[in-house]
Amino acid sequence: MQKAYKYSILYFLAFSLLLLVSAVLLFEEKIGFSYESVLAYYMGDEERFVTPKSGTGVLKIILPHIFAFGLFLMVILHFLIFTKVNKSKKIQLIIYLSFGTAFFELFTPFLIINGFEFFAYMKIVSFFSLFFLVIYVSWLLFQSVMYE
Amino acid sequence: MRFTLIKDLKQDNAMKPILSGLLLFIIIYIISDVMVKQSSFGIFAHEVQLTLFGNADEFLEPISKSSFLEFIHMEIFFLMMILLTLSAVFARLSNKQPYSILIINIAMISALTSLITLGLTYFVNDSFINIYVGSFFTWHIVTSYMALYSLWKLHYAKSV
Repeated sequence: MQKAYKYSILYFLAFSLLLLVSAVLLFEEKIGFSYESVLAYYMGDEERFVTPKSGTGVLKIILPHIFAFGLFLMVILHFLIFTKVNKSKKIQLIIYLSFGTAFFELFTPFLIINGFEFFAYMKIVSFFSLFFLVIYVSWLLFQSVMYE
Repeated sequence: MRFTLIKDLKQDNAMKPILSGLLLFIIIYIISDVMVKQSSFGIFAHEVQLTLFGNADEFLEPISKSSFLEFIHMEIFFLMMILLTLSAVFARLSNKQPYSILIINIAMISALTSLITLGLTYFVNDSFINIYVGSFFTWHIVTSYMALYSLWKLHYAKSV
């Protein structure tokens, strides 16, 4: 791989890290990481003057993320093709898990507002699963760029 | 990223206009970004400070924490996608490797610095605001140069 491309990928990973940090801060600020706060955000909370979200409201929030998640995951995962991981079966597992958790992260709010309160846990779990998967992929890419 | 594998981009009937279009749109984005920021967020230190912290004398409210986080989250996403695409095109079209690496480093580091210092200005100390403004202008100028240079190479260089 040309040296300039290696630099571009390394910087892309630095930006990805910033994106993850800002996502965690945003999630914490707007929703919160507890089961109760996720429920309150989507189902409403009279004490905190939080109105319940409608299906259209949830769709409005996730709409830009549907495209952004797809694009971001495509870009970061396609770099794996240039690494040693490409030759192992692990790459398929990482790809399916990444898109799967992203799908859950985006669409669990619809289940929450329709009364499936258990999915508040799934929202938190899928958020952190995606977070750690992106960290793991970034680490694989970092190793590949630096040492292969 | 197929363009990285084509031997002579000038002779490629599809990739040359595609890359020209992409570079043109990137230039328009960079110019529009400055214009939009000037009218909403501010591009100079005192304007940015007013947006972030408000002014009690002029009854100007500071930006809320969630609005600020939404703003910076979107900025990071757009910047990373634009810089990755532009740096890949620039690296392919620029045949002087140490020079292209230097330019890519300046663009990326200044963009990262602008994002980090904006966060530090809001959350830690407003003294970072001048570094933010400096790095904001640096990445806009350097990426404009990268896009214009790539366009020039694509159309006027003997072979790329």
